[in-house]
Amino acid sequence: MSLLIGSLQLGFLYGIMALGIYITFRILNIPDLTTEGSFTLGLAVSGMMTISGHPWLGILMAALAGAAAGAVTGLLQTKLGIHAVLAGILTMSGLYTVNLMILGSRSNLSLIGSDTLFKQIQDLFSVDKDAAYLIIAVLAAVLFAAGLIAFFRTHLGLCIRATGDNEDMVSASSIDVHAMKIIALAVSNACVAVSGGLIAQYQGFADISSGTGMLVVGLASVIIGEVFTGKRSLAVGLCSSVLGSIVYRFIIALAMKSPIFPAYALKLVSAVIVAAALAIPVIRYQYSMRKKKKEAGTHA
Amino acid sequence: MLDIIRAKKVFLPGTPNEHTALDGLDFHMEKGDFVTIVGSNGAGKSTLFNAICGNFWLDEGKIMLDGTDITYLPEHKRARAVGRVFQDPMRGTAPNLTIEENLALAYTRRERKPFRRAVRRQEQELFREQLSRYHMDLENRMKTKVGLLSGGQRQVVTLLMCTLVIPKLLLLDEHTAALDPATAERIMEITKEVVKENGLTTLMITHNLSSALNTGNRTIMMDSGSIILDIRGEERDRMTIDSMLELYAEKKKKEFDNDRILLSQ
Repeated sequence: MSLLIGSLQLGFLYGIMALGIYITFRILNIPDLTTEGSFTLGLAVSGMMTISGHPWLGILMAALAGAAAGAVTGLLQTKLGIHAVLAGILTMSGLYTVNLMILGSRSNLSLIGSDTLFKQIQDLFSVDKDAAYLIIAVLAAVLFAAGLIAFFRTHLGLCIRATGDNEDMVSASSIDVHAMKIIALAVSNACVAVSGGLIAQYQGFADISSGTGMLVVGLASVIIGEVFTGKRSLAVGLCSSVLGSIVYRFIIALAMKSPIFPAYALKLVSAVIVAAALAIPVIRYQYSMRKKKKEAGTHA
Repeated sequence: MLDIIRAKKVFLPGTPNEHTALDGLDFHMEKGDFVTIVGSNGAGKSTLFNAICGNFWLDEGKIMLDGTDITYLPEHKRARAVGRVFQDPMRGTAPNLTIEENLALAYTRRERKPFRRAVRRQEQELFREQLSRYHMDLENRMKTKVGLLSGGQRQVVTLLMCTLVIPKLLLLDEHTAALDPATAERIMEITKEVVKENGLTTLMITHNLSSALNTGNRTIMMDSGSIILDIRGEERDRMTIDSMLELYAEKKKKEFDNDRILLSQ
């Protein structure tokens, strides 16, 4: 039961990050490595704000910091013409220093004894801890998913979607492609940082290495989600990313519980899941081609 | 309306592959002119379009559109006044967006309200009405992703996207060349209709000499980055494909051997 509830809580909280990854990976067609830095950035900002007594402001600041990080990657990519993946790597690398700076040259920050927004809600409604945490996680994820769905229905959102689809055409329609990419990366990384910020308050600590492998986790969520819903519309895609995040947490929880995997196998398991999910369409295609060839051979 | 003054563009300067794409080209057109451009491959026709659209800046010279100097204006800002249809039907539309979403995007030229709903009821009506005039049965497929349409259908959508908000200048870059003959003819008819109805100032590149002479009110021929023939009025009316080829050979002092032009008569 605790495994179920814990996975749900984490699934929804990390689901907000999956929403961010969906924007860069599925709409802009870029695997954005900034994620790894901006997740920790959110964690650090929210953590520091929480110990100084401002957990809610901490989430807002995390969002702004994440957006700024995304904008930096966007600027590197568009105005300075750096390859999209490399631009993300550069920002991620630079953020490591920034994150340590925010944490006050510590690699680990404990929030034990501080008033997190989870505790505030729990006290306010005097409900059970698990229930309070789950409600916050669900509300946060739903809020972000709904907000993004509404955003991508606006004119600006439409321009961003078209940018990932056909840049030439967007430019020919008098829209600034560079600005669209920067905005999309900022929105994406704001989601990632908010996810990190909530996780910090949820787990009660912020660690400098929390962001490592987060991109893979996010990609896994997006891809697993698509297994359930298929690639349909953008709204479905965003919702399925959150769903994917929950399923991913279940898989990880089960894998970790089984005696086969030691705890440190987490990242390898995640990487294998993503690689397998990305490879399935290709393998399926090759298999069908081979089958066709075989059939043609027997008829001849 | 459009003035291009001593435009010069050299690609890869200082290398063995140096290529003068525009060689001090002078060109002027009036509001409402429909000019067709012919010329062999590499004559600089598309380069001229790229220069007007702002894909690159000129090395020397000036481009004036409707009295404004646009020589150093970025591409997307020029796009407010210039519509362009490419030869490749894939280039003008976003395949994963629906027809109405594509059209809504093109509508940006008129209205910039980033946080308003992208496709609203009244716009839907407008797009549907505009599309229905082309009789391609696209008005009932507004929610279809453009990637699922045929090349001809995509080209119609692109053409509408470029003319939905009347541009100051319309550029047609061999926009029927990738289509089958029947569809090409249909698109050409639609083009003439749209241009005439809105009095659009239009430049059209074509490799079909008869269509070059029968469409619009003026024809220019380009070679090696400059204009070598510029005909209009009576002179143009009397011009036949043969005499045009002769004239070209005379000007070039060599046989006109571009089989693409010969074959497309």
